[in-house]
Amino acid sequence: MSHETWQEQLRRGSLDLAILLTVSTGPLYGLAIIQHLEAFTDLVVTEGTIYPILGRLTREGLLEAQWVEGEAPHPRKYYTLTPAGVKRLDHMKAEWRAFADKITRLMDAAEGPDHAAH
Amino acid sequence: MQLTETGESRINGYLFVLERSLKTFLARDVVRDAVREIESHLRERIVAADGSPDERGALEQILAELGPPLRVAQAYSAERTMDEAVATGRLVPMLHAVGHLAATTFTGFFAALGLLCGYLSAFGFFAIAVLKPIFPDNVGVQYVRGFPVGIGAHFPLKPGMELHGGYAVIPFALACGLGIFVGTHRGARGFLTWWRNSRVS
Repeated sequence: MSHETWQEQLRRGSLDLAILLTVSTGPLYGLAIIQHLEAFTDLVVTEGTIYPILGRLTREGLLEAQWVEGEAPHPRKYYTLTPAGVKRLDHMKAEWRAFADKITRLMDAAEGPDHAAH
Repeated sequence: MQLTETGESRINGYLFVLERSLKTFLARDVVRDAVREIESHLRERIVAADGSPDERGALEQILAELGPPLRVAQAYSAERTMDEAVATGRLVPMLHAVGHLAATTFTGFFAALGLLCGYLSAFGFFAIAVLKPIFPDNVGVQYVRGFPVGIGAHFPLKPGMELHGGYAVIPFALACGLGIFVGTHRGARGFLTWWRNSRVS
């Protein structure tokens, strides 16, 4: 596997979590979600591909979508986290932290003084 | 930014291509909703670009950041059709997904060609098993000058051709058909899983 493929898989694997975390801050429409992600991460490569993911998360019952008209010159589709989404997000956060801790411990062990001596 | 007629045409053209692409694999109401959302995104970006002296440049940048319509449609395909096909393994969603990939990607076209050959071979064997009891004198293992040349049905038999195998052809054809069908189906599912995992989003 090339480095780029590995990076791509890592990015794609964390995109669901990043989107759920973004929406957990409150009801947001598509572009606002993208802008939030762009402000904190470099996970968004092509803006248009975020919408199908939002659609899938909605179909899975993790997000709820609602069109709002009159707030802007054009209608906006707002997304909110459902109770199932909150539960899934809690699980994902816990798993991510545990996973990151293990990898960090592994890296610390590999970069320790004994390893450096060799 | 107030769009000129040319700018509006560019936006409408983008949305038209997206809608046409989505219509090949999504239900009409889902397509309408998706296009409406993408248009909302574009209008939002255009409003934010207010004050730009170069409308064409600003518009092209907005569209480039959103991604080409076919790529956006492929992302929808990956999230909907692929997920359903890979998750359920059902024949119809899988054929739908492979068909869409064949129409939109180079790799998908050749993969679909191979899979089509596999499925047709399987159904060919199933047809032999079904036809044998109906046309016992025309279906079987075909021999020409004492050598087996194939298995199938001939109406009428060619001069010099003999049929062998009797009714044992039925279980043989069923076993071959089932084996090829399962192998092709697993291959199709494997291909779709690979494509879904390797797609660039």
